[in-house]
Amino acid sequence: MADMRVRIGGTEAWLVAVIAAICLVLSLTTDTFFTLVNAFDLLNYSAVNLIFAAGLLVVLVAGGIDISFAVGASVVQYLTAITLMQIGGGNWALGFALSIGFGAALGAINAGLIHHFRIISIVVTIATFNLFFGLLMFFTVGVSIYLLPDWMISRVVLFEHETAAGWAEITLPVAVMAGVLLATWVLLRRLSIGRQLFAMGDNPEAARRLGIHIGAMHYLAYGWLGACAGVAGLMQAHYAQEVVPNALYGRELEVLAAVVLGGARLGGGRGTLLGAVLGLALVSITQNGLNLLGVSPYAFRMIVGAIILVAISMSSESLGLLAEKGRRLRGIHRPAGDAR
Amino acid sequence: MPKLTLKRRGLMAAAAAAAIAAAAPAAAQDTPKIGVVVKIGGIPWFNAMEAGIEERAQELGVEATMIGPTSADPALQVRAVEDLIAQGVDVIGVVPNDAAVLEPVLGRAMEQGIHVLTHESPDQQNVDWDFELASAQGFGEAYGRRLAELLGGEGKYAVFVGGLTVPLHNAWADAAIAYLEENHPEMEQVGDRYGVAEDVDASRRTALDLMRAHEDIGGFLAFGSQGPIGAARAVQERRREGEVKVLGPFSPGQGRSLVHDGVLSGGYMWNPKQAGEVFVTLGTMLARGEPIEAGMEIEGLGTIDPDVEGKDIIVDQLVEINETTVDDLAAMGL
Repeated sequence: MADMRVRIGGTEAWLVAVIAAICLVLSLTTDTFFTLVNAFDLLNYSAVNLIFAAGLLVVLVAGGIDISFAVGASVVQYLTAITLMQIGGGNWALGFALSIGFGAALGAINAGLIHHFRIISIVVTIATFNLFFGLLMFFTVGVSIYLLPDWMISRVVLFEHETAAGWAEITLPVAVMAGVLLATWVLLRRLSIGRQLFAMGDNPEAARRLGIHIGAMHYLAYGWLGACAGVAGLMQAHYAQEVVPNALYGRELEVLAAVVLGGARLGGGRGTLLGAVLGLALVSITQNGLNLLGVSPYAFRMIVGAIILVAISMSSESLGLLAEKGRRLRGIHRPAGDAR
Repeated sequence: MPKLTLKRRGLMAAAAAAAIAAAAPAAAQDTPKIGVVVKIGGIPWFNAMEAGIEERAQELGVEATMIGPTSADPALQVRAVEDLIAQGVDVIGVVPNDAAVLEPVLGRAMEQGIHVLTHESPDQQNVDWDFELASAQGFGEAYGRRLAELLGGEGKYAVFVGGLTVPLHNAWADAAIAYLEENHPEMEQVGDRYGVAEDVDASRRTALDLMRAHEDIGGFLAFGSQGPIGAARAVQERRREGEVKVLGPFSPGQGRSLVHDGVLSGGYMWNPKQAGEVFVTLGTMLARGEPIEAGMEIEGLGTIDPDVEGKDIIVDQLVEINETTVDDLAAMGL
């Protein structure tokens, strides 16, 4: 029990409770939510966002922020697609290698600017966000690529099972997402450089005095996010079967909101992978549930926003604050009582 | 330090001088300058429109450019129109994301003597003319009729639009739904209309959810350039090609393989390239003070019968997209 408490923090436990409540309601009110097919659907279309979230978490933990990763992923899609066509096709291994390489390189640009020029990360990434997207639009003139190599656009089904409700499938993006999540977990929880990332995020000066190489940590965090974004871009191009310059534009805020909802602190030093996954799950499940319930699409954003607000403001931390406030109030009254 | 300030001041003065120098000749010339702001840049539909704008501008010897915002956001369009006003163009063309949001800024443009044209936004306020290559009624009904044909006059269908505030998509949806309700009362619309059809991922996700919620859904009617593609991919993923029909206007190059796979049933469209040409043709006529009257023959529009009250020029120039026409349309770069 003690062990569980260490691993599952307050925010996560609260999110699990909220998600469980939503799932319960949806299972009772619709006869399609609680099916294998729907669960797999949810996994399949959340996979790309989860890959982004894993990368972003690493940067948030290290005390930074990045809003350029989604358009960075679009840049990687183009670079990868064009390189693959130049060399006459390629294969999955090469596709992954190129995406990770290009993605990490874009991340390194952010890290370099942040570390060597001592610019605040949000300023740098707002600039690179515009720079990446501007360069992309300029060089591609907004032209999409529909002719991708066959291996890249043919669907890869890893598991399939025919149920009464149709085919339940696990596709390649889900497996890749699992791989990325595992790698990120190992980095953050099992390697000492992961602990160093937390230390830097919490207190960069203390971390520096401890002998942690701050520059290397910046490159690691942004490079990791860049590589994750590259992989996410490859997966999006895989299932969309085309590369469109603005397909991922705007995704950064969606992912950022979900990761912060999952308990990652914008100031750095705190955040868990489980929280990030749960944050995204909450938003995806709500959206899915609204469609299944046949709620009017006019009400969607209102409901999603309200649920995020409730989830954040009712988290155990804010409840703790309220409780403390209550104690303090009582504390003020007590001396008066003692004086009597 | 003072040196630096001096240098900086010098640079700024130089920049200002350059800006003035650049602006001056533009004002002096009398070749009409036309700027067209579209819903979103970088998607094939508006790339084709841009090609039309550029080709026609070259033919007529006018200056015309297209501006595509990075996302389908009316606020970005307002800013782009403000930029065009500041540049002192003669004609502003807009394909609005939100008719009401653009009203005030278009009004400001007209106050400054700039001619305003819109497309895909009938009854737009503060314009010289709005032109449509398809009447909303005729276009919507054509889709309603085709969907009923494909579904055999019964079953459930869902409707996607580009956004819940896009007037034209909603007018099409209104016409299609009204047609189906009147002529095929056994057909049932599922939910309200979904505002996802300018985003391929959102269309795919919504279509997957709806096929889950309504096992017996027979078709998707998607008004918005990415909607039919996203819905068709969802149908393909769910392995229900041919069983669940997908109809909607889309870019033939993008949807070609889906049409040949039998997932995307097809649709009607007008040629965005032709719309781009009409922007320039009409814009040049307005800038040169030529009248636009009933019975005139205008290239790209045919014989027009403008509604002077509502400032609409509406013609029906529908092109059908199906297995036989899609390759030719795609070859045009659409």
